[in-house]
Amino acid sequence: MRKPDVKVVILGDMNVGKTSLLHRYTERRFKDTISTVGGAFFLKQWGPYNISIWDTAGREQFHGLGSMYCRGASAVILTYDVTNWQSLSELEQRFLSLTDTAHPDCIYAIVGNKADLTDACAHLVEMDDGHMSEDIQDTPHHPASTTSTSSVLLHKQVDRMDALALYWRILRYKGLEENASPAAERMCFETSAKTGYNVDFLFETLFEMVLPSILKKRNEGDASTVDLEHSTETKRTKAGCCR
Amino acid sequence: MSVKAFELVPTVERELLMGDKPRIAIECVECCGQHLYVGTNDCFIHHFLLEERTSNKGHPTFSAQKLLQRYLGLKKPVAELKAASALERLVVLCDGVIVVVDMVTLEVVPTGGVKIKGAAAFCVNENPVNDDPFGVEIGVILARKRAVHIYMVYEDRVALVKEVATPEPPCALGLDGCFLCLALSSQYVILNYGTGSSQDLFPYNSEERKPIVKRIGREEFLLAAPGGLGMFASAEGISQRAPVKWSESVIGAAVCFPYVLALDEGFVTVHSMLDQQLKQTLSFRDGLILQDFEGKVVLSSSKEVYVLVPLPLERQIQDLLAGRRVEEALTLTEGARRNIPKDKFQILRKRILQQAGFIQFGQLQFLEAKEHFRKGQLDVRELISLYPLLLPASSSFTRCHPPLHEFADLNHLAQGDQEKVARCKRFLISYLNEVRSTEGTNGFLEDVDTALLKLYAEADHDSLLDLLASDNACLLADSAPWLEKYHKYFALGLLYHYNGQDAAALQLWVKVVNGDLQDPTRSDLFEYVVDFLSFCSNMDLVWKYSDWALQRDQRIGVQIFTKRPVDGELRGQINPENVVTYLQKHCEALLIYLEHLVLDRRIQKEKFHTHLAVLYTDRVLALLSQPSAAEETVSRPRCQLQRLLKESSLYRVQLVLGKMESSGQLLLERAILHGRLEEHEKALNILVHQLKDFPAAEEYCTWASASEDPTYRRRLFHLLLGTYLDPDVPGGGNTVAAVDLLNQHAAMFDPVKVLHLLPEGWSLQLIRPFLSGAVRGSAHAMRTSQVALGLACSENLQLQHDRMRYRGGPVFVSEKKGCHLCHNTFSEPDCVCLPGGVAVHTHCATQRLRNSPTKRWTDNGNSHT
Repeated sequence: MRKPDVKVVILGDMNVGKTSLLHRYTERRFKDTISTVGGAFFLKQWGPYNISIWDTAGREQFHGLGSMYCRGASAVILTYDVTNWQSLSELEQRFLSLTDTAHPDCIYAIVGNKADLTDACAHLVEMDDGHMSEDIQDTPHHPASTTSTSSVLLHKQVDRMDALALYWRILRYKGLEENASPAAERMCFETSAKTGYNVDFLFETLFEMVLPSILKKRNEGDASTVDLEHSTETKRTKAGCCR
Repeated sequence: MSVKAFELVPTVERELLMGDKPRIAIECVECCGQHLYVGTNDCFIHHFLLEERTSNKGHPTFSAQKLLQRYLGLKKPVAELKAASALERLVVLCDGVIVVVDMVTLEVVPTGGVKIKGAAAFCVNENPVNDDPFGVEIGVILARKRAVHIYMVYEDRVALVKEVATPEPPCALGLDGCFLCLALSSQYVILNYGTGSSQDLFPYNSEERKPIVKRIGREEFLLAAPGGLGMFASAEGISQRAPVKWSESVIGAAVCFPYVLALDEGFVTVHSMLDQQLKQTLSFRDGLILQDFEGKVVLSSSKEVYVLVPLPLERQIQDLLAGRRVEEALTLTEGARRNIPKDKFQILRKRILQQAGFIQFGQLQFLEAKEHFRKGQLDVRELISLYPLLLPASSSFTRCHPPLHEFADLNHLAQGDQEKVARCKRFLISYLNEVRSTEGTNGFLEDVDTALLKLYAEADHDSLLDLLASDNACLLADSAPWLEKYHKYFALGLLYHYNGQDAAALQLWVKVVNGDLQDPTRSDLFEYVVDFLSFCSNMDLVWKYSDWALQRDQRIGVQIFTKRPVDGELRGQINPENVVTYLQKHCEALLIYLEHLVLDRRIQKEKFHTHLAVLYTDRVLALLSQPSAAEETVSRPRCQLQRLLKESSLYRVQLVLGKMESSGQLLLERAILHGRLEEHEKALNILVHQLKDFPAAEEYCTWASASEDPTYRRRLFHLLLGTYLDPDVPGGGNTVAAVDLLNQHAAMFDPVKVLHLLPEGWSLQLIRPFLSGAVRGSAHAMRTSQVALGLACSENLQLQHDRMRYRGGPVFVSEKKGCHLCHNTFSEPDCVCLPGGVAVHTHCATQRLRNSPTKRWTDNGNSHT
């Protein structure tokens, strides 16, 4: 079995769409999933790196297992449902403490899933990445914009501003400096596993951001293990010299 | 559908264990090699010898032979039994006391004064950190105490190594290295008894549900988790595999790579550690114990003992493949890598990959199939043989046994669906193409290429011709009938050619050109054949088919000879004279061929040049004799004739001239011919007086003197002027032309001569440009020569000055002065003075000159002496 270089964990309340997010990313389609039992994991080959992505069970019953999954994680994706206020507050009350076991350099992403239910723009599948990221930055940050609701669509219970606020609270909880951590605007996503909106962008952004810790880990690994293959190679070149 | 990974085999029957005592129940088991120990509730240990056999149906069976039974004398159930086989000891837990008994005699062995009492459970460390070969490390949980005791058990004594305090009373434990994995009353933890550090795993209510701690490998444990999960946890407290889903009431777990087995009230479930999927469910009521001992999984109820025998991996994989569960089969194969010797594994893996490929091929998942064929290094012929008639009859191939797939052939696979057949064929084309280009054919190139040719022919594929035109190994005998069947005669010809049978190829192509056979591949097949003949080195064939080609089209047919490469090897060279003789019948072709010889190849042979000139003349004359012939049709051949007459100097002038004079036409050409004979007066007469074509006359002068010196040209121009001014011609001289000639080509004339020649009556004004040009010219010449003279004088003066300077002052030579070259003194007054006044011996100077690379120069310039 290939050894993962780094671990990414998806946390969140039940039925927010953690499994669907992962499924959309890995298999590029949306299908009905059943409630996850315990947890599942997926090994993603990302360039030369192996990234293990853990999909956890949201049910209260498996809550105790969460901190074990999070142990040593380099990135945690905290997922909520944009149509469900409770799912956001659960993140803070129930799931945040699980991340205590994560790696000290761990980064946190806050992801509002099911955006297709509230935002028409999330229906556009396969938008190019550049455009989407612009969208995110252009979103006004002042609280006046919290009245965005669409008549035909479901009521959006969680606004982007709420997610940003949660992110800042997480940084405070972790005792992290705001300016030393990734900016909230970059770490809060709204996605739709159903249409694929922002899903690739989310994972690719996170992988880019954990890259330094992969390299760090690899370097540490190099120092502590004796590389047999490498040493034989040097021997070989020596022999070549003498000839 | 699930896999059959294990088979349940009864081992110790009810009668054998309890005989006629119905209340006896099994409490614990231990299996060590062939020895099975069973502890019962009446404080007995039973010792059985197991013998594994295979029934004639291939099923494993066990026969148990009872060797011994011994009463421990405590009247309590035997709670746990663990073998320390290196010491030949059994560690037994009974009534809270741990005793050590001999494995053979089952006699209790003294433990050297250390009594372990109040123990609730214990476990053996299978991966101890201390590598003491004479001791076995055990971890013991004491009832209601917040501690674990680590003991070393030796042959004749037991020693306490460590006492590890725990935050809550532990109720189950596992031990690996220095890691203690414990189930406490509210959670699981991992303790490092070396460093004392502790790691919380996850909460679990041990009072509600029985906890399970099962070591499954190096620093990895399997734990019963809330919700009926089997959680994997490493010593660092990290889960490296996804959990398996058990039922809530699980009582025991065992590991037999790559499977995790779990026992509950009604079933034994088997999950794969590779993909965490449920693989098998065995119904088993009243199960009590499920444990693995060195690869053997023992299952027991209170009355009987069974062994769960794992089916051979290969069999499991085949079962998966039979159920078309390709991914699972491959995962299981990869998972078996470390359990099977390397060479055997490679063979197995290849075969599984090939089988997987065929399954996917059957489901038309070509991309995946191709990948698996490639990884499995499939013999391509296995795939080709699926397609009827594709393998050559001569191929020695037989399908691998046992077969890699269930298909008889493609028709069987497609069940008559032509669309499917077509897709499979398209796949084979692309696959074979790739195989060819990657050298993956393992020496079966003939089979591959022949198959590919057949597929191409059948599909009317463009690449058929590419295949045949490049290096290929298509078998002619097998391919020819196939190509004929699909009317690919052109391709067949190529194949003949590739196999060196040009005669057959040509015969076939000629038939197609003649319309006897139909093959629309090439509309320009005739041109192709001609081209082919022009390169053909077999001269018999060339002569055989050139008649046919020339009859069909002389202009194209003659290319057989004109396009033939000249500077090749001698074989296949044609003597041009033979060709000329041969082409007599085909005059158009002959003309083209002669043009080719004379104009393109520039062969300098009088015969060809004369022949061509005569042919050209004949053609022009023939055209002129037709009154209807338009100006344009004649002008081109005439130009060609004139060009030849002007440019070539080899043809026989008299012969051509004779021909023209007899016709009375072609005056311009005759003038050229006269020019060739240096009869310039005649030529100019014709041009000036008969044709009255003055520009042509001037041009003639230029042409005729092109390779001569300027005086010759002047002579011609004077001649022309004379012709213009000839008073004997009726109608008088051509004064205007003469004036123009003088004025335009002033430089060509000697003014003095001209003035003598000109009639008296001409006005000066008329030839003013000529005269002023002439005067200016002579004045210019005079001045130029004066300048040159002056320059020459000054150069001479300069040189004289230099000479005087270099001569310099006197050179002193004395007996005390040394020669600069040999450094000896002078004995005679004779010396050579080098530039700069340096005196050297005469012989030294000669020596130096001889060795000098600039000898030649100094030979001329040694005037410095």
